[in-house]
Order: sequence, then structure tokens, then C-alpha cells
Amino acid sequence: MSKPVDLVQGTLDLLLLKILALQPLHGWAISLRLRSLSSDVLQVSEGSLYPALHKLEQEGWIKAEWKQTENNRRAKFYSLTRLGRKELESETANWRRLSSAISHVVALSEA
Amino acid sequence: MEHWWFQVPLRLKSVFRRRRAEGELDEELQFHLEHKIEEGIAEGLSPEEARYRALRAMGGLDQRKEEMRDMRGIRWLTDFVFDIRYAVRSLRRTPGLVAVVVITIALGIGMTATPFSMLDALVFRPYPVPHPREVVTLVSTSHDDAFGQFSYREYLDIRDHTKSYTGVLANASLEPVGFSAQPGATPIVRGGMMVSGNYFRVLGVEPQLGRGFRDDEDQVPGRDAVVVLAPEFWKRELSADPSVVGRTVRLNGKDFTVIGVAPESFPGMFVFAHPDFYVPLAMASVFSTNPLRSFFVDRDARELVVRARLKPGTTLRKARNELGVLAKAFERDYPRLNRDRGAAVRTQFEMRTQDNDINWKFGVIFTVLALALLLVACTNAAGLLLSRARTRTREIAIRLAIGAGRFRLIRLLLTESLILALLGGAGGVVVGYVGISLLRRFTIPTELPIEVPFRMDLRVLLASLALSVLSALFCGLAPALQSTRMDLVNGLKSAEGEELRRGRKRLWGRNALVVAQVAMSLMLLAASFLMYRGFQNSVAKYTGFHKDHLLMVRVDPRLVQYDAAKTQRFYELLTERARETPGVESAALTQNPPLGLDNSGDVAFVPEGFQMPRDRESFKAPIDTVDEGFFPTMGIAIVHGRGFRAADTAETPRVAVVNEHFAKHYWPNAEAVGKRFRLENATGTPVEIVGVAQTIKYEDSPVDRGIDFVYLPLRQHPVARMVLLLRSRDDPVQLVQPVKSIVGSLDPNMPLLETRTYEDLFRYATVDGPRVAVELVGTLGAVGLLLAIAGLYGLVAYNVSRRTREIGIRMAIGARPADVLRLMMGRGLVLVAIGTGIGLAMGFALERLMNSMLFNAGGVDLTVYLVIVPMMVLVTALAAYVPARRAARIPPTVALRYE
Repeated sequence: MSKPVDLVQGTLDLLLLKILALQPLHGWAISLRLRSLSSDVLQVSEGSLYPALHKLEQEGWIKAEWKQTENNRRAKFYSLTRLGRKELESETANWRRLSSAISHVVALSEA
Repeated sequence: MEHWWFQVPLRLKSVFRRRRAEGELDEELQFHLEHKIEEGIAEGLSPEEARYRALRAMGGLDQRKEEMRDMRGIRWLTDFVFDIRYAVRSLRRTPGLVAVVVITIALGIGMTATPFSMLDALVFRPYPVPHPREVVTLVSTSHDDAFGQFSYREYLDIRDHTKSYTGVLANASLEPVGFSAQPGATPIVRGGMMVSGNYFRVLGVEPQLGRGFRDDEDQVPGRDAVVVLAPEFWKRELSADPSVVGRTVRLNGKDFTVIGVAPESFPGMFVFAHPDFYVPLAMASVFSTNPLRSFFVDRDARELVVRARLKPGTTLRKARNELGVLAKAFERDYPRLNRDRGAAVRTQFEMRTQDNDINWKFGVIFTVLALALLLVACTNAAGLLLSRARTRTREIAIRLAIGAGRFRLIRLLLTESLILALLGGAGGVVVGYVGISLLRRFTIPTELPIEVPFRMDLRVLLASLALSVLSALFCGLAPALQSTRMDLVNGLKSAEGEELRRGRKRLWGRNALVVAQVAMSLMLLAASFLMYRGFQNSVAKYTGFHKDHLLMVRVDPRLVQYDAAKTQRFYELLTERARETPGVESAALTQNPPLGLDNSGDVAFVPEGFQMPRDRESFKAPIDTVDEGFFPTMGIAIVHGRGFRAADTAETPRVAVVNEHFAKHYWPNAEAVGKRFRLENATGTPVEIVGVAQTIKYEDSPVDRGIDFVYLPLRQHPVARMVLLLRSRDDPVQLVQPVKSIVGSLDPNMPLLETRTYEDLFRYATVDGPRVAVELVGTLGAVGLLLAIAGLYGLVAYNVSRRTREIGIRMAIGARPADVLRLMMGRGLVLVAIGTGIGLAMGFALERLMNSMLFNAGGVDLTVYLVIVPMMVLVTALAAYVPARRAARIPPTVALRYE
């Protein structure tokens, strides 16, 4: 496994919101999804995943519910709230601005 | 913060349903781990390896949980709940110490609550009206009086020519009024007050029954005979009869219609007096106190308190400017009556902290003293907590070693002291309640409706609570800081090893505590002695007159509608018949006997031949109006000239008797007898001084100073309301019945207002009143001393226990018990000495303050300190000696093994 890229500060929130925007998931599924979606490039320490989820919950961006999984176990499923959707939009816009600015700068330096 | 509605339930959930929240935390992480392990096994790892890998990936389950708890943002709250549980548990382990600390703080807070309730009632409690802060008092100012009143004409001008107020009201002073519920019944005396028609409207007071006055009801003199009853009076005298509105009652012999009853929430605007009923100003002819002046006409008949409600948004400064301009206009338009007279707008606070009012000053002094006592109590409690913290050194060291933050530990220790202080505060409320009921026991002997306003109300409770929290901080912080600032290794090994190394530095705080206690209690004791002596002096100095074998009876012919001539005739017959009564040695009339509760007013005068200061037109002095029998009956010596004679009548030149203080004041180098002064101003009626009387104490006030005083003869200065003084051969009480029958034979409707022996009055004014003050301060001092003794004893005992092993070593290598005793006591005595020094300095400072505020005695009263200082030293030395002696008696073998 090549050295995983460190997450830019604050982008974990964005990733989590985005993943949960697609469908409600429990913690384990989120960690799997993170790995597969970013093709193993972005590796989130499983340790920091849960505190991050709790923070989002406290902010009111996501909400949690205990539900049965497909193989009949109880798990805590997180889903996006209305506030979370708004937050996701503004965070996404921010990210776009930031990344395009950075790629711009990177492109300049090569020319 | 827009999403608080998400957070609040979540946070509450994690506080109140902690166990469940924690369970969910566990379950969630467990779920993750299991999947991770399954994944590992699927990849071909052994179950143990898979488990290990999963845990490592998580990076420590408990750390994660902590992080997640932190994320909830209510960390402080859950911690607080924990702290309380922990504190209660740990406090229960040392019940004795807890009891002592709680009692100490309870005494401190209770002792503060009592004088604070006094101060609150006298100064801070707002007027019982809506928006009390808007209500200001307008005063007329002059050289002699910064809180003067206005005349009716002046009130009308102010009301009509100011724009800063939503309304300007006026009221006269509370007056005794003859009241009969049915016409024809013998009147009883009750307190009535004349008010302007807008009184209730401007104050925002809605009657609970009927209506208030209409603005036009004070327009036409004598037209609207209507009365509004006060709630207490209505309940007491009319059994809360709701049909009272519309009924006719008789006031001072005139029929009035009851139009309303004021609400329960409005007992009146005064601190002490609660009016029984209100009548319109326009009825002044029925109630006016001063028959010589015409209430509605004379611009200088200044008998009205004028208050106003500021318009919202109008500043005090603006109102002051406006009134100042108006006062200038008065001075310009009426130069004779308003010369050097200004006007000012005063807030409630300013009105209640007048310089010549002694009550609130006592309140301040008591509160300051009590706070000093609370400080002593807190330092004591802090000392006890400190010794408690010491026994927990090891526990605290362990907590620090396993990673507890220092701040977190300090918070835990503070929570403990907060619990102690709140328990103490609850006990303090009980102590304060008892103290306040003792204060309330004190009654003022008068027929006017006067209530002692001190009570344990919400405001006092809140103040006590605030004090508890403050004292928790104060007495908990030092021990908490000190015990968490430690060297871990030594703390874990042994408390003693650590202490011996840093002992000196460490003990500095405790030494300071003891010094502070000794100093404070010395100051308090000195203060109580000083007050006691101050009162004693002021009583002893100016009371050289008869107090025994005197009966006094107050009558007021105005209550039965006598005119001036009829009044004069009545008094002539009364004294004549009284003198003929068997058992009566002499009889006299006085407007107000010395130390009496009435105010007989002032006289404005200009002494002839005296260079008046450029900026003033006249001086003022209090007066008494007396008849020719007064000086012999009261036993007041005439030192020069003569007293009054029956021949001093309205037809002969006007005469006066002044006191020695007056004579020395204006004619320091000459004989005052034969000199003259003029009434009101330099062109007023001349009055010849025919005699000089000894200076006595005139007012019911503990202020120790002689004042100027003038006596005027009744025949030349008729007054309606007088006191008949009878000097008896035997017990004066035996004369009560004869006096009743004499008055009854002159007029069966004439009420006797105040019938008592003069000794009763004198005792009230000089003993009962000041005794409350002295008892209060004395109690403070005594409790302070108790606390100081306990504190010193505790310190020395603490030192002994801390150094027991050291004592053992010393004795093992040859120290004698006397050496140990000296070693242990020495420190205590040094502290007592330092404390005494500071206490003396503070005592002197306090004495200066009390002298300037109360007694005007000047100079330092050394005898007080000659009594107190040796006593303090003795008692505190004893407190140090007892535990020190115990140390000296410990066998070395025991001491060496001591841990």
C-alpha cells in the first residue's frame, strides 16, 4: 500500500457529508465506502472517523438512528439533515474554489 | 447558533441519559471492531491477529471514546455532575470537619444577612410602584437643608412648568388624624396623609377597590371630602369590608366619603411609616399642621414632598437643568422668600442616603463589620479545608500522576467547597432569619402606623446565595491551588517529606490567615466597645434632668376641630385642673419633651449684633414651645436669667430661652441674657433672650454633640398639639386615671394620644434603641473572637501534628518539654502579635470613621484598647498553648513512629 495522502484540514467533514448524502450508512460502511471511493488514496484513520461523525451530529448536520443491518445486527445509521445538505453545498462550493485555485497555481509554476 | 434545537436535546440526552449514551458509544465502536476482525479473518489472519490489527487501527478504544465525549461539548456539565457526586462522597468521610466548616460559614453568612436586610430596607429596596427607577424626588435646597420641601404654590408652579416628567405629585407628611368609622363615635388616632389628586395615577398604583383620586379633586380647597384607604388599615379597622366604598367616615370631625382602597402591593412610599389613609391636598384646612401659615397662599409654607416620574428617555441631567432654571426664576420673582434657595432632582438612592440620616449609616457600618466577620469565617473555613487537603496529598498526587489535569482537580476541589458553602448558606439563612426576627422585635412607641421594615425576603436570600458562592471561591481556591501545585514524586512518597522541604514557604498562607483573623476580630470587638461607649457617653453627657416621677399625655385639639382661642382656653383649664389634682407636684406643657418622637420644628432667626455670613439671611435652630411650668417640672436648670412666666403673653414683648450651646455659639464672650434675635430675617420680629438653660439631649439620636436650641413661650407662640407633663409625688401611673377624667370633663371627645411615663420614653430613646445596635456589633465581635480562637487553635494543632516526628527527634536528642512548648507556641504568639498590630491600626481607622459618621467625639479612645488587646492576647495565647502542651507531652517513642 502506497503512503496514503494526508487529508487537507477539514476535508474529512466534506467527504463524510458527501458519502452520507448518497445514502444513510453506519460507521463501518462509511469507512469501507471512503476507502473504495477514493481508490485507497485517501485513508482515514478509523480512530478519527467516529469522533468526526459525533462532531457532525452535534453540529446538527447529520442525525443518527439505530436500525437493523441486512444481516440482522443493530447498528447506528447516520443520515444527512436539511442543515447538513446546506452545509454540504457550501462546503462543496468552497472546495471547488480552493481546488481550482490550487490547480491554477500548480499549472502556473510549470509553465 | 441557529441549530441549537439539534444540540440541546442531544446534549441533554448525554447528561441525563448518560448510561444509555455511553452504551451506544460502546456498541457503535464494538460493531466496527467486529467487522474489522471479520475482514481480517477473511484475509487469512488468525482471530488473534485480526483482533490486534483492528484495535491498532482504532488507535485505542478509550481514547476514541474520550474524543467522542469531548465532541459533545457538554464535557463541563457531565464533569460537574461527577464532581458533585465525588465531592459528596468524599465530604461524607469527614463529617466532623464538614460540620465545623458549615457552621462557620453559616454564622458568617447569617451575620451578614441580618444587617444587609436592614441596609436593603433603608437604602436599596425600590419604591413599591411600577418602574420605580423613574420616580425621583424634587427638593428645595438651601444652606441648611439639601433635601427641603416645597410649598403648595411652588408645587403648582413646578407641576405646570416642567416638561421632563409624565407627572409631578406632592404629598404632605404623615399626620395623626382623628378617625371615626361612624359619625359620633369617639375618634381614634390614625395616620393620614394629604396627597395631590394625581398621586396614584403618577405612581402607577391601581386601587384594588373603587377608584383613586381624580386630578380635579385637589383643585378647589375644601370641596372634595374623599378618602382612599390603605390596604392594611382597611383590613384591620374595617375587616376588609368590600362595601366600604361610598361609605362616610369622619376624619378630624369632618365627614369624608371613602372612594377606594389602595392595593396590597402599595404600603406607601416611606421606609418606616405606612399611611392609614390618603386625602386630597385641597382638604388641607382639615389637616394642616401649622395654623400660623396659610397652606394654599404662602409660598414659604414648605410642607410638601414633591415627587415626579421621569418621562422615558429623559435624562436626570436634563431634569436637573430644567428644575435649576425654574428655581432661578423663583429666586428672581420672589427674592425675599427664595433668596439663596435652589432646587434639585434626587434619586431614590440619594433620598435614602441623606447625610443627616443616621439609620442607613448604621446599616452600612453593620454590613461592613459583618462582611469582615464573613471574611474571618471564610479564612477559617479555608484553613480547615487546607488541613483537609493536606491529608489528601497522596490521593491528589495519584490523580495528578495518572494524568488528571491541574485545572480539572482544582475544579473538583472547588466543587467540594461550593457544596460546603451552599450548605453554610442554607444555615446562614436560618441564622439570618433569627437575627432579623430579633430586629423586628424592636418597636417604636408611637400612635402612627410605623412598621419595622426589615425582613428576610427574596432580595436578602439572593444576596446570601451570592455570598455563599463568593465565599466558596474564597475559601476553596487557596487550598485547591496549593494542594495541586506539588512535586509528584515526593507527594507519592510521603506528605511529610515533601512538606518539610517546603514547609516554611507553604505555611505562609496559613500564617496570613491567622494574622487576618486576629486582626479582624480585634477590630470588631473594638468597634462594638466603641459604639457602646459612644452611646453611653452621648446619653450621659446631656441628660441632667428629671426622668422619674413624670407622666406624659399628648393631646391635639385640632382632632376635635378647636380653633386657636378654644385651644388656648382648653390648655389653660387643663393645666389649672391638673395642678389641683392630689399627688401632682407640678404640671407643664411642652410641644415635644426632650427625646420625644414628635418634631417640633425649627425657627429661622438672625442674632442681633452677630456678623451674618455674606451668603445667608438667617440661621436655623430647633425649637420647643413650652409653658411657664416646663423648666421646673423637667428639672432643666436655668443657668442665667429666668425661665418663662405666666406674664409672658401675646401682649408683652416677645421672649425666648436659649440653651448654653446657643449662647456660647453666638455670644462667645458676652452674656446672652438681654441680647435679642429677630425671627425670619434681619427685619423680623425682635425676641429678647431672658434666660439660658443647660444644654441637654433633645433628639432621639445617638449622635453625641450639643446643638443650638431655642424655647419659645406657649402664650406667645400658640401650638395646637401639646404634651401635658405631670410630676408626681408617687408612682406616676397612678395619675393616668385622674388625667383621663380631667380631659373627659373638659371634652368627652378629646382623644389622649400618647399616655406613658416619661421614663418609658427615655428608656426607649436612650437604652432600647441603641441597645439593638450595640448588641448587633457585640455579637459580631464575639462571634469573630470565637472564630479567631478556633482558627489559631487549629493552626497550632495542625503544626503540632505536622511536626510530630520532628518533635520526637528533638526530644530523643535531648530537648525538654519546655523547649518543645516554646517552639510550638512561639510561632503562634508571633502571629498574634502581628495580628494585634494590624488590628489596632484597623481599629483606629474604624474609630475615625465611626467618629466622623456618628459620634463626633474626636480623639482615640485608649481605654477600649487597654481592655481589648490584653484580652485578645490572653485568649489567643491560650488557644495556642493547649495544643502546644499536648505536643510537649508526647513520648518521643510515639512521636518517632508517628506518620
